[in-house]
Amino acid sequence: MSAVVTRLRGLLAAPPGEVEQSRAAAVGQLVLLYVLAIIVALLVTGALVEIVGGSLASVFSAIYTGSIGTFGAVGQTLDSAVPVLIVALGSLITVRAGMFNIGQTGQLLMGASVATLVALHLHGPGPLVLLATLAASVAGGAIWAGIGALLRLWRNIDVVISTLLLNYVAIQALGYAVSTQSILQEPTPPGGQAGGLPQSALIPASVRLPHPGQYPNFGVGLGLPIAVALVALFAVLLSRSPWGLRLRMVGANPVASRRFGVRVGLIAAGALILSGALAGFAGGVLLTGSVYRIQPGFDNNFGNDGLLCALVVRDQPWALLPVSFFFGMIRTGGSFLLSTGVPFYLAQVLEGLLVLAAVFPPVYLERREWARRLRAARALVLKAAA
Amino acid sequence: MAIRIEPSVDGATGGPAAGATRSGGHAPAVELRGVTKRFGSVVACRNVSLSVERGEIHGLLGENGAGKSTLMKVLIGLIPADGGEVRLAGRPIVVKDPVHAAALGLAMAQQHFSLIERLKVWENVALAHRGKLSRRQAVRVVGEIGRRYGLEADPEARVEDLTVGQRQRVEVIKCLSLDPDVLILDEPTSVLSASESRELFGVLREVVLRDQRAVILISHKLDEILQATDRVTIMRDGSVVESMATSEADAHRLARAMVGRDVLLQAEMAAVGLRDEVLAAEESADPSPGAPASPGTARVATGRAPALRIVDVEVRAPDGRMLLDGLSLEVGHGEIVGVAGVEGNGQAAIGDLLSGLARVTRGRIEVDGEAIGATSPRALLAAGVGVIPEDRHRSGCVLQLSVAENLVVSDLGAFTSSKIFLDRKAILRRAVELIEAFDISTPSPTTPMSALSGGNQQRVVVARELARGPTCLVAVQPTRGLDVGAVEYMSEQLRKAAAAGVGILLVSTELDEILAIAHRIVVLYRGSIVGEMRRDEVNVERLGLLMGGRQA
Repeated sequence: MSAVVTRLRGLLAAPPGEVEQSRAAAVGQLVLLYVLAIIVALLVTGALVEIVGGSLASVFSAIYTGSIGTFGAVGQTLDSAVPVLIVALGSLITVRAGMFNIGQTGQLLMGASVATLVALHLHGPGPLVLLATLAASVAGGAIWAGIGALLRLWRNIDVVISTLLLNYVAIQALGYAVSTQSILQEPTPPGGQAGGLPQSALIPASVRLPHPGQYPNFGVGLGLPIAVALVALFAVLLSRSPWGLRLRMVGANPVASRRFGVRVGLIAAGALILSGALAGFAGGVLLTGSVYRIQPGFDNNFGNDGLLCALVVRDQPWALLPVSFFFGMIRTGGSFLLSTGVPFYLAQVLEGLLVLAAVFPPVYLERREWARRLRAARALVLKAAA
Repeated sequence: MAIRIEPSVDGATGGPAAGATRSGGHAPAVELRGVTKRFGSVVACRNVSLSVERGEIHGLLGENGAGKSTLMKVLIGLIPADGGEVRLAGRPIVVKDPVHAAALGLAMAQQHFSLIERLKVWENVALAHRGKLSRRQAVRVVGEIGRRYGLEADPEARVEDLTVGQRQRVEVIKCLSLDPDVLILDEPTSVLSASESRELFGVLREVVLRDQRAVILISHKLDEILQATDRVTIMRDGSVVESMATSEADAHRLARAMVGRDVLLQAEMAAVGLRDEVLAAEESADPSPGAPASPGTARVATGRAPALRIVDVEVRAPDGRMLLDGLSLEVGHGEIVGVAGVEGNGQAAIGDLLSGLARVTRGRIEVDGEAIGATSPRALLAAGVGVIPEDRHRSGCVLQLSVAENLVVSDLGAFTSSKIFLDRKAILRRAVELIEAFDISTPSPTTPMSALSGGNQQRVVVARELARGPTCLVAVQPTRGLDVGAVEYMSEQLRKAAAAGVGILLVSTELDEILAIAHRIVVLYRGSIVGEMRRDEVNVERLGLLMGGRQA
């Protein structure tokens, strides 16, 4: 009996891919599935494009031209990839700790809102105010995620639920703030209509991130080197520091981690707060790097894209760089689509399908592996049942 | 495969005491003839024959792994037998599965209840029946059975809101609602209090007297077998060793039969002074003036606080069940204390307690004379408490980490250079050392833990816990599920550690394992220590009585 239990545990506890499968075969299978999935995604998009009367070839050429066809386009794609990259980095950290933060949108909005307040109201030398603005975005996101972390520590409330619901709170709070003069709404110009637009004033030029180069020539904001540096920093910390190891332990086996002296609750809460801080920072970069004011819809779906990007890379920090670039391509290429007469939403359909294609193969293989192991376990139990 | 012929109990059905409720000439309610069940090379049941009469409560007694549950699972069709025959009322039958068994009039209340906690009582009862769910009918059945047997249960209560005793009642109601000819109960009292158990036995008595059903009661508790049954059959190592009318049995005879003679032999060897070399070496190497070592006793330095002292500790499960109930014990430096007992009496909780993972509601732990926060894993680690837990995948290692990481995981601070980065070279060096010293078979130190065999995973755990230089080490079922080699390996490691002065607490349900190395043996029963003896005064009969919950 106990021997069976031990074998069962071994069977069910091993990470996917560890059981009876050669590594080369597994990788080969994965690549084949990726190719198949992407072909299917393209075929479906093609069929949709044909239905609305466009041509698939023109769609691709538009996406290509709009995203990497020119130096200027490459710069824009890189700029769009930056917030995705920063948000995704935070998401990946919570995944390592065994949690699932889906509150990036709210954390990004809160970070950006607090940053806007600082940028508009703090006076001083531009670079210092810029630093304070970015710091405020970090704090805003961290605090918003911190609510979820506290709820988890206090009553073990599921992070998925708390962070998801806090998104709605953040969206509504922002809506209120930018419609209220005393908070964030831009002052009504003299003689202008009372009420005004639900948006903040533009932040001063001195508080904007430097952006060398200008479209149509190559140009890219300072956000890019900062984001890449953050990825490098955390990739190294995750793999080389005791913190990174503890994070992995907590994600893999919280009970054993506790026994080994890890402060499981703190590590998990810290990971969530860090993830929120990064999402907030993405909001700060968006604010100071390209949008310059806050309004409803400010997040422009960057929070969700970051989450998806983290899902696609599955725990490989360095893979965030190419994958976030791909998300940037869909964005810039997609807006270029308009020029071909194909509706913009088709670009989003293509993005959705391509993300599915990127997420599907590993998940499918894992599922299949689990089904196989459960079958084996069931056979073992039936055989032994003692 | 040649099957040894074992004493069969077929002929015993004419025993005088059991005949009281049986009408002569009729076939027994249920009869197993020569049932054999093998799992790979292990024979769980070897040519077992058993016959149970109508109107009789038949006790099936034996230690864990004696084959009782396997036999019953064969009977209700959970697992197919490799040989032998089942007869119901004299008619040979083949039970295909439990549903078929129910149709034939065989019902079994599982040790771990087969109730669905989120559902109500009547819903659970209705689930035992095929066809359309009828709330009205199910409620009526629950009420009828309740009145008939004094098994009151609120049909509208949700199972998750019931106490374990009430759940047990529902489990029995569910079985009785099938109107079985034969009712089987697998260790029904393992979660019940004494009064709840008495209540249950009263019900069983009703069941056999009123309806002339047959009841098979699986147990390893001597008292309840003596109290509640008419006949008793004792199994050991997959075979029936004895069967008798309960009126002819007494606790001593049952204990002897249950624990067995081969164990007795070993114990006798130990008792006649076959002192192991470790002890002898220990005595000659370090003659301590204050402590004249008596045969079979560890040399425990007097005047020094014990390596580990547990004082009146109470631990409860999250659902409020008592796991440890006033547990107190002491382990001297260099002493190996064996904790014997039947499984489910708190073994795992002792491991959790010393890992800092238990919910301690009372009591304290002292290591080397210092009181330690019993709920802080860090304090216990810092005080030098090593743990080889019962379930290494739960709290002994992290399968997703590498072997090297698992070897240093409780000492990360010592492998951190300049406060920020792990000193990977030092970790690898340490891992290579330990892999060599503890003979761990792994392709490389960076291999994931999950790729190792169970025995080697266990060696990693042992290596890590001992390499920290613990003051005391608790090993809970350290060889469970592992092969014979692992047993020897573990004994050797524990002996070596004790010789080096580590106080060892060996918790095991395998008496052999304990008798082989322990200096002193205590018996764990229902979460507390009920008896104690030195190895040189081990008396297996007394041990059996204590393990079965009898004072001795």
